[in-house]
Amino acid sequence: MAAIQLCRSHHKVINGMSENKILFNSGSPDELSEEIGKFTSNEESRLKLTPDNADSGLAKLVLTLVDLIRKLVEKQAMRRVDGGSLTEDEIERLGETLMKLEMKMEELKKHFNLTDRDLNLNLGPLGDLM
Amino acid sequence: MDQMIYSIVSVKKKQRELNTLLVGMKGVSGADLYAVFCDEITAVVSNIKRTSLVADRSNAMDYARVIETLAQKFTLLPVRFGSVMESTEMIIRMLGRNYDEIQSNLRKVENKVEFGLKVLCDSEKIKAELRAKAEAGTITEPALASQKSIYKDYLYEKLKEHRFEELLLAQIDTIIQDITNHFAHLKPIHKFQKMATTTNIIDDVFLLEKEKKDILIQAVEDLQTQYADLHLLLTGPWPPYNFVDLTIK
Repeated sequence: MAAIQLCRSHHKVINGMSENKILFNSGSPDELSEEIGKFTSNEESRLKLTPDNADSGLAKLVLTLVDLIRKLVEKQAMRRVDGGSLTEDEIERLGETLMKLEMKMEELKKHFNLTDRDLNLNLGPLGDLM
Repeated sequence: MDQMIYSIVSVKKKQRELNTLLVGMKGVSGADLYAVFCDEITAVVSNIKRTSLVADRSNAMDYARVIETLAQKFTLLPVRFGSVMESTEMIIRMLGRNYDEIQSNLRKVENKVEFGLKVLCDSEKIKAELRAKAEAGTITEPALASQKSIYKDYLYEKLKEHRFEELLLAQIDTIIQDITNHFAHLKPIHKFQKMATTTNIIDDVFLLEKEKKDILIQAVEDLQTQYADLHLLLTGPWPPYNFVDLTIK
């Protein structure tokens, strides 16, 4: 919400934000426009369900959540490995499991024609899910 | 006809001033605005058909424009877009039920405005630098096991990536601490978000007295000198969008 603001006609507008709201910017206007665009028109991370794309729309939602859980599991596993509490066998099995999970995700993404950029959800002012 | 609430305003004894300001002001879809009073607080509303309310860019801009105009004259709490009630009586009852909490929030933001500071840089570039440091031997490689296998190698790569991310987050925490210290003399109330996007590594919003704007700009310029490789973006003043802590009963 804060990125969408009053645009008076005599002020230049960058992606919906009136330039008089920019008090300090050390980057170029193009960089700024690109950055604001990420917050205001995140097309890839919007869930668009229509009768024509119900399958792929649902697949995108489900795979996004599955990938989120996979990454959480992976992070937790890394903490355990880093903690040094796992045996060599456990490390081997963990590596195999994580690798197979990632391969399976790749397979599913390919099947539903999705890329890594598609596997995200825009949570508005909270940013992206991942 | 339903009524959409734009903001809750602290009017105190200035009801007439608010009514004068609302004359001629238009809300979403060009609707007239009016005030629903409840003692010293007021909801600014317009009539709307719930079925015709679309959360698009044009309506969001109309909505924000109303809040922005009101915020220039009054202390207010912005209300989320699409907050609709069925009648004036319901709005008065809602204001009455939540009166103390609303007043408490209004006191918190009185004479204050919100500013946003985005710290931008390419986090992948920072990670690449960390990788380069690792290759130069400044980061200890994880010793996973004596006997190699593809699964262990895979885990090893993942572990390295995990450590780079942890290092990146530690670096971000250091910058946050520096920002906090740097602005401490202004006594702001901060809310930080880390890694909002891959390039927006820190998203800081803070409440500050209106008259401190120029000192703030100077402080950000100084901070930029300290962090020449980061891109700082300061925006504001905004109505206190991120500082309403209220669950409507």
